[in-house]
Amino acid sequence: MIRRLVLDVLKPHNPSVVELSEALSHLKGIEAVNVIIYEIDQQVENVKIILAGNSIDFEIIKEKLEEMGATIHSVDEVAAGERIVEEVRTPQDRSARI
Amino acid sequence: MKLLEKIRRYIKISEIAPISRRYFVMNAFDGATTILGIVVGAYVAGITDGFWVMWSGFGATLAMGLSGLAGAYMTEEAELAKRLNTLEKSMLTDLKNSVVGKASRFASLWAGIVDGVSPALAAVACLTPFFLSSRGLFSINIAIQLSVATALSIMFLLGIFLGKISSRNMFFHGMKMLCVGLIITLVFLTLKIIH
Repeated sequence: MIRRLVLDVLKPHNPSVVELSEALSHLKGIEAVNVIIYEIDQQVENVKIILAGNSIDFEIIKEKLEEMGATIHSVDEVAAGERIVEEVRTPQDRSARI
Repeated sequence: MKLLEKIRRYIKISEIAPISRRYFVMNAFDGATTILGIVVGAYVAGITDGFWVMWSGFGATLAMGLSGLAGAYMTEEAELAKRLNTLEKSMLTDLKNSVVGKASRFASLWAGIVDGVSPALAAVACLTPFFLSSRGLFSINIAIQLSVATALSIMFLLGIFLGKISSRNMFFHGMKMLCVGLIITLVFLTLKIIH
C-alpha cells in the first residue's frame, strides 16, 4: 500500500506540467500531486513528481506517464504502509558528512 | 474524453494552431481569388450560361480541395515526423503510442483538412449565386455581380481576421486583401473594354 511516491521524470514541454498533474490527480488512489520543474532543456524538461494517496498503484502511474510522453528516470522515495515514515537523520549520516 | 476535448488537446500539444490558421487564410484567399478569376473571365468572354461557370468553378474547387488536403497532409506529416524523431532522441524513448505521437499524427491530418476545406468553402460561397441563378431565382448578370461581391467580401473578411489576430488595424488589413481582388477585377474589366 504505497502512500507517497517521489519520482524523477523526463518529459516533453507538451503536455504541460498543468496537464500532467491534472491527469495524475484523476488516477485511482491519488489524493494529491505536486509537480516541480527543476531543469528545462530545448526539447525536454526534468520534473520531480510527488504523489500522495492511500493506495498508489505504481504501474498505473507509470502507464499514465508513458501515455503523456514522459519517462521515469528514477524512483527517489517510496513511503508505504499504514502510516508515512519520514526520513530521519542518524549519527551515521552526520559522520558520513565529516 | 469527449472528441472535441481530445481534438483541442491534440492541437495544443502539437502546436498546430498557428500553422492551420495560416493555411486557412492562405487557402480561403486562394479559393476566393480562383473563383473570382473564373467569374470575371467568363464575363469578359461573354459567357451567358451559368452552368458553364458553375461547373468550371466546382472543378477548380475540387482540384483545390484535393490538392490542399494531400499537399498539406504530406508536408506536415514529414515535418511533424521529423520533430517527433528529434524529441524521441532527446527522450531516448519511443513516443509513437504516447499522446505526443498521437497529437503529431492528428496534426498532419488536421492541417490537411483545413488546407483542403478552406478554399472549397470560399469557392462554394462564391459559386452559390450561379446555383441560385440556375434555379431561376435571378439572371446570370445578377449572379456574376453577386459572386464577385461575395469573393471580394470574403477577401475583406480574411483581412479583418488577419488584423484581429495580429492586434492591428482590422479595416486596413481588410482593405489590403480587398485590393488584390479589385486588381484582378479591374484587369479583366480593362480587357473587356479593349476586347
